[in-house]
Amino acid sequence: MSAHAKTISLTVNGTRVEASVPPRQHLGDFLRERELLTGTHLGCEHGVCGACTILIDGEPARSCITFAVACDGRSVTTVEGLDDDPVATELREAFSAEHGLQCGFCTPGMLVAARDVVLRRPDADNPAIRTAMSGNLCRCTGYVGIVNAIRRVIDARNTNAG
Amino acid sequence: MGEVSTAGSGVGARVRRKEDDRLLRGRGRFVGDIALVGMKELAFVRSPVAHATITGIEIPEEHRGAVFTWADLAAGGVKPIRAVSGLPGFKVSEQPALADGKVRFVGEPVAVCVAATRAEAEDIAASVFVDYAELPVNSDMLEAVTPGAPKVHDHWPDNVFLETNVGGNIAEIAATAPVKVSRTIRTARQCMVPLEGKGVVAHWDRHVEQLVLTTSTQMPHIVRAGLSECLDLDQGLIRVVAPDVGGGFGWKGLLQPEEIVAAWIAMRLDRPVRWTEDRREHLVAAANAREHHYEITAYADERGRLLGIEADAWVDAGAYSVYPFSACLEAAQVGSILPGPYDFAHYRCRTFSVCTNKPPIVPYRGVARTGVCFAMEQMIDAVADAVGREPWQVRLENLVPPEKMPFDNVTKKHFDSGDYPESVRRAVAAIELEGWRARQKSGEPDGRLIGVGFATYCEQSAHGTAVYHGWGIPMVPGHEQAQARITPDGGLELRVGVQSHGQSMETTFAQVAHEVLGIPLEKIKLVHGDTGLTPYSTGTWGSRSMVMAGGAVATACRTLAERLRKIGAHLMQAGPDGVVLEGGLVRAGPAAVTIREIAHTWYRAPQLLPADVDRGGLEVTAGYKPGSDHGTFSYATHAVALAVDPEIGQVEILDYLVVEDAGTMVNPMVVDGQIYGGVAQGVGTALYERMPYDAEGQPLASTFADYLVPGFTEVPHVRIIHMLTPSPYTEFGVKGIGEGGAIAPPAAICNAINDALKPLGVTVTNAPMTPEVILGAIAETRGAA
Repeated sequence: MSAHAKTISLTVNGTRVEASVPPRQHLGDFLRERELLTGTHLGCEHGVCGACTILIDGEPARSCITFAVACDGRSVTTVEGLDDDPVATELREAFSAEHGLQCGFCTPGMLVAARDVVLRRPDADNPAIRTAMSGNLCRCTGYVGIVNAIRRVIDARNTNAG
Repeated sequence: MGEVSTAGSGVGARVRRKEDDRLLRGRGRFVGDIALVGMKELAFVRSPVAHATITGIEIPEEHRGAVFTWADLAAGGVKPIRAVSGLPGFKVSEQPALADGKVRFVGEPVAVCVAATRAEAEDIAASVFVDYAELPVNSDMLEAVTPGAPKVHDHWPDNVFLETNVGGNIAEIAATAPVKVSRTIRTARQCMVPLEGKGVVAHWDRHVEQLVLTTSTQMPHIVRAGLSECLDLDQGLIRVVAPDVGGGFGWKGLLQPEEIVAAWIAMRLDRPVRWTEDRREHLVAAANAREHHYEITAYADERGRLLGIEADAWVDAGAYSVYPFSACLEAAQVGSILPGPYDFAHYRCRTFSVCTNKPPIVPYRGVARTGVCFAMEQMIDAVADAVGREPWQVRLENLVPPEKMPFDNVTKKHFDSGDYPESVRRAVAAIELEGWRARQKSGEPDGRLIGVGFATYCEQSAHGTAVYHGWGIPMVPGHEQAQARITPDGGLELRVGVQSHGQSMETTFAQVAHEVLGIPLEKIKLVHGDTGLTPYSTGTWGSRSMVMAGGAVATACRTLAERLRKIGAHLMQAGPDGVVLEGGLVRAGPAAVTIREIAHTWYRAPQLLPADVDRGGLEVTAGYKPGSDHGTFSYATHAVALAVDPEIGQVEILDYLVVEDAGTMVNPMVVDGQIYGGVAQGVGTALYERMPYDAEGQPLASTFADYLVPGFTEVPHVRIIHMLTPSPYTEFGVKGIGEGGAIAPPAAICNAINDALKPLGVTVTNAPMTPEVILGAIAETRGAA
């Protein structure tokens, strides 16, 4: 298999990475197994549950249906790279206050998706939040705490902006 | 019972979770995150057919040494899983960890492949050729019990693990009751779908000479017991560790064949190995929950007062009996809990645990109660319809009233406390039934039909010793133990054998300890889920952890408090009278010493201790059982308003309300979270989730595109109203709450759909109530008309 490996160069959480990867390896496995960034969780590996959502060049993407070789030259951000991100910081606070997580397995993907909703949809009402988040599954929370957490962050940002 | 406050951070306080920060930063530690030096990955060859004799397994020459079958494990002394119930007539199945000459369901492990990466292990698995001589299949439990049905286990006389009969005094009521209604009711086979699948890392620790199995489990001590039996290895040679566990819901409450295989391979190769269940493996090989069928009749008087219930119930238990719960727990439980929260005198129920060519049944959140509630609550509505009263009125007519508490029902269940009728009255008021009834009369502009439904249940939780001894299965809960240890710097370590998989125990057990000792939450550390570090426990199941392990934590901390007071009094040169522990200080009048100072004295300045100091020091292991061996009974009434589109069969939930009573709540935020999450799973059972099988026993869903788990737009923004009736039998009056949310939604939603469809004369009785089912029922009624 190594005979088919491709060398790629990309940025992961701000650090330049060069790697030789098998063409069939998806980005989620690459991040977890090679970069040891295990915060990206694999819940279905067929692009439905959203647990593995990360940012590629700032846009949310499913790392389980993205090949690592397709990320040559790209910038990838995982949940570990959002420690100092202001929106993610507000979301972490709100998720904790609103009990938006239980087992925590879907949480990294939820945060990445929620961050995108907060940035793109400052006008979102609760049904709009639900529609925007509908690409992520949670089996523990019944979604109420997650919706309330996103609501809290959007409202606080709108109040501060106003 | 202790003092209960709602402020601060003790029992009753809505405090944030200690476990949140690491999980929100992606820095938890799940099984799949663990990598050991030299670790190999496992992939399983699984049966593509439901029932067959294996006539050959061909392993390519280049992969010999990387593929193992049952022949290898058996030669190594591995024994099949035997989960035997002591109930009379139970038929024993033997489940080898890899198939032994025969496969009995699609997805059954046949061989295991070892490689440096999972991808390479899967390549090897794809190269293994297994020759199957297919056999006739039992894909439906009702056909499996007919004469001449193919047998799943050749040496059995039929395909029934166990038949039970409860009650029987029904004939006279059946002959004389003014009202008699019958229904055929069915629930579908489901997958539990925790977002994290199962996973296991096994290695032999050469230093301590132990097999260390790190596994995504709810019950590490039970897994150790099962491994010991199947591997013929002393329990002292096995350590089972549960790290962060990404949801369980019952699926992680068993000994898995894959755990046995991983353990054996790690020892055989003397290398760490890991297996990670992928989603397709879960949906195919773990489609193992909920499938019930009822033929049920209710007898009542003209007011809808129940006179008796008569039922036959079948549960599709799949091909094998799982360890530790067995193949019969679910069906046998149907017989004992079908009467629900109601007070009536005459009852007969016959149950069958049917063996089929499907994955073995495992108790899923609520276990039999979701099916039982679905059946019983449909009957209450059917009786109401027959006598021309509102369903909520018929519930009030029959629910156990508060003045009869504690109450022993027709199957000798001992209900501890509560006001069941009040939960209905509050639900009727809060859902604003009158408004919906008016809207029904005026009709919807878009042609949809409005319906309102109710369902009430009570849930035995924190089961005691007698009931599990009665099942006679490999696991019987006794006293739950907890260890509490003051650290030399005045902090607290708690060690419990239950395992959190989302239930927030790191926070809630700390709240319990804080309530007793006053030590701040940030200085309390929970150690759990590790047989090497914690007292024995049957684990986290049956909504038991807060009642049982929480009770043990409180008990241990009380003993610690007593010892702290004695040492503290000595340090202050005070007599024993009037010495109190409050706010983390031992006080005698105006004098006070901190727990930190007392800890320092015990550990680092023992010359200052009194001569008669308790030699157990500042470390206590205490056992606990509630005052009643029947456990606690939480209860709730769920109410739902919805709209059904009769043209396309689509259901939209417009309002969903839960009025529940879990006794004293340790952390109301966590209780609400359990209810929200349970309801979401119940909505899945009601409207979406079904693993269909064809006649050959092939599962027809294997991705999230065809097995539908409800998402953000399917689950309603549930409203919760709490009633707070303490249990008279438990520490602080807490009751188990973890499963309840998942019990009532299918029943409430079904009753609401039937309320909506009433003008069409249509009734649906099977879950999930998909558009296909609803349109089918409408078409059938129109065809008959």
